[in-house]
Amino acid sequence: MMLARLKRSEGIWLFSRSPAALLAAIVTLVIVLGALLAPWIAPTNPYDLASFSLIDGLLPPVWEAGGDARFVLGTDDQGRDMLSSILYGARLSLSIAAMAMAVALVLGVGLGLAAGYFGGRFDAIVMRIADVQLALPAILTALLIDGISRGILPRDLHDDLRIAVITLAIALSLWVNFARTARASVFVERNKDYVQAAIMMGQHPLRIMLRHILPNIVGPLLVIATVDLASAILLEATLSFLGVGLPADSPSLGTLIRIGMQYLLSGEWWILWIPTLFLVVLVVAINLLGDFLRNLFNPSLR
Amino acid sequence: MVRMTFSTAAMALGTTLLCALPVAAETFRWAGTTDPQTMDPHAVNAAPVLSFLNNVYEGLVRRGPEMGIEPSLATSWEALPDGAGWRFTLREGVTFHDGAAFNADDVIFSYERAISEPSDVKSWFASITEVVRVDDFTVDFLTSAPNPLFPGSIANFMILDADWATTNSADLPARDAENHATRNANGTGPFVLSSRDPGIETRLTPHAGWWDSAQHNVTEAVFTPIGNPATGLAALLSGEIDFISPIPLQDVEQVESRDGFKVLAGLETRVIMLGFGHDHDTLKYSDETNDTNPFLDPRVRLAVAQAIEVDTIDRVIMRGAAEPASQLLPAGLSGFSDEHADRPDFDAEAAKALLAEAGYADGFSFGLMCTNDRYINDEAVCRAVASMLARIGVTANVNAMPVRGYWDELRADNFDMYLLGWSPGTFDAEHPIRFLAHTPTERLGTWNFGGYSSARIDELLEPIQQEIDEAARQAMIDEVAGILQQDVAYVPLYTEPLIWAMKDSIDVVQRPDNFFMLRWVSVN
Repeated sequence: MMLARLKRSEGIWLFSRSPAALLAAIVTLVIVLGALLAPWIAPTNPYDLASFSLIDGLLPPVWEAGGDARFVLGTDDQGRDMLSSILYGARLSLSIAAMAMAVALVLGVGLGLAAGYFGGRFDAIVMRIADVQLALPAILTALLIDGISRGILPRDLHDDLRIAVITLAIALSLWVNFARTARASVFVERNKDYVQAAIMMGQHPLRIMLRHILPNIVGPLLVIATVDLASAILLEATLSFLGVGLPADSPSLGTLIRIGMQYLLSGEWWILWIPTLFLVVLVVAINLLGDFLRNLFNPSLR
Repeated sequence: MVRMTFSTAAMALGTTLLCALPVAAETFRWAGTTDPQTMDPHAVNAAPVLSFLNNVYEGLVRRGPEMGIEPSLATSWEALPDGAGWRFTLREGVTFHDGAAFNADDVIFSYERAISEPSDVKSWFASITEVVRVDDFTVDFLTSAPNPLFPGSIANFMILDADWATTNSADLPARDAENHATRNANGTGPFVLSSRDPGIETRLTPHAGWWDSAQHNVTEAVFTPIGNPATGLAALLSGEIDFISPIPLQDVEQVESRDGFKVLAGLETRVIMLGFGHDHDTLKYSDETNDTNPFLDPRVRLAVAQAIEVDTIDRVIMRGAAEPASQLLPAGLSGFSDEHADRPDFDAEAAKALLAEAGYADGFSFGLMCTNDRYINDEAVCRAVASMLARIGVTANVNAMPVRGYWDELRADNFDMYLLGWSPGTFDAEHPIRFLAHTPTERLGTWNFGGYSSARIDELLEPIQQEIDEAARQAMIDEVAGILQQDVAYVPLYTEPLIWAMKDSIDVVQRPDNFFMLRWVSVN
């Protein structure tokens, strides 16, 4: 507890010295809040088909000629308000990414801790699976899982489970980093006196792993979690962009970009560029935060 | 930071490395949204297939640049006495791509293949009772009653070599499975299928022994399906391909403004419409658990028609290039009913009132099946329709899918409402009546997926096919058009625009049926 508190205060000091991190934190916070509060702050609900009209289709942002004050960032080809679509899209993208990250974290840390603690054959099997996984690009794994689920689930069910499938696809392509980090840390910690003492006191392995080892590897895991969150957002966007993610009637950021691609050359730039910029800003901000956290938890880098 | 840069770069690379083809000077490369599902001329009666195969196979007659019927494998034809049928005199000295000679046996074989159970083109021969081989180069098509339109209705009836099909066990068309004729072809047409990679690339080379003199100067033609029109346009602008159809409507202006490219625009003879599950007792894709099908009530169908603002769809989604439609065929075609040229006015209030009258004041939800790579902006139109229906309280669950599996889904009745585009192959009002309005039977109503049925229309089809007097025929067609509108059997939306883009150096002929004929292509 003392240590954590010390770190935190040091963290705050470092934080105040790093304008990039500060800015990134503010941007991330604003976007996350906007996404969370979308149902209350968005001007319209883009999922409610009756709330928009094709008559308002393809209106430019308010600052361009022909813009409409009702649609600050313009409208898309169906007459949906871009701002609302982006807020709702970010909400979907962020929640899928966060869920995927949480699943990957639990799975990866669990397997990594166990592998590191027990060693032997279990360790070998888990780590070989991880190696195979690392050899495949994340997007390929995700596409594979999506394809398999499409093949085995009936169509109606697949549509209903779409978000779950995508979450799982992303999670299964991201767990390896957590597992490797957890395992490596366990190797370092396992031979330290406090762990040996706990073992000699006859404590249950589960308790040793969770109560003694895990708290000591929170730092590196947090860094990975942050960076992987950005990867998860990008992965989801890529899947949706390629058309295997979320459908056009409940668009995530990637789906919005896919829709906007049709207008890349035709002058309706806002349909593509606004969600794309939004995605870039979000991912860069989260990565900057991850960078900052890495520096914080790894004093040798400072 | 390092990790992020890598993964971002990897993803960016993954999405941009989609197209990189070498370009040879004498080769003509063209692209379209839909790959022809099969190379079998009798397996799928759909424009992408027939259009493509018209370059490889030929019929007894063919259509010229202005859609006129001209001799092809038949040099002439005449009506048999007493309306007993038609006699075709076949062209001598024609060879198939593999060198085999063409004669009456191939016509008889192709006819039998085209009326076989798995064939998708049976309805072309609904009026034919028998085909008789008179001699090596004369064939009689016997009809049960006079059929004055018959020669003009079989321009897409393609002849394949009997020996070739039998040797390769492709005696019958393979609609759901595959056989030798699915990926290989042996026709008499101006181009030979030299390689076929479904969904990827199809190559054609000129047929050296073609009976007609070539008007094209293509030495090799390569077709690549590009599902996303924006990607296709980028391929055209970067010089990778020479021709594409269609391009996104929103891009017409900027393609025209560029040096070295031109756009050919017009109206296709295709009407885009919505169809209903007339013979479904219940809705398949409703969120509520009720056990009725509201679309059985004509008031509900009329409400759907009245809730859709076709003018707005035309203005925003089709950029003003479409033309609102009132019947199953576009205005101006032979048999178009001028009496019924009005479509129901847009009136959301009246639509709501109709729904309330039918007992659906609180609305209902249903599944709308839709293609996303077949017609121009098809998915966007479906979403717009869903949004417009939401205004009268009806929720459409849109399921947009590639056309590859679409017809199978419709044949399996997996829809409550569906999107359909129909281009009358004969350019006459009788064609959609035969395919879309007649009660489905073995040979008729074969694309009437919803099973719409009207005894009066069924009764009128044959007289319409046989009547020679223009006015009497038109009166019957008018009556059918009236019944279809009265029943709201379909909701015709608009006439599909034709939008071809190509390099300035390419000359083509744009036929209103959107068939792309390589024999008129010249690369300058």
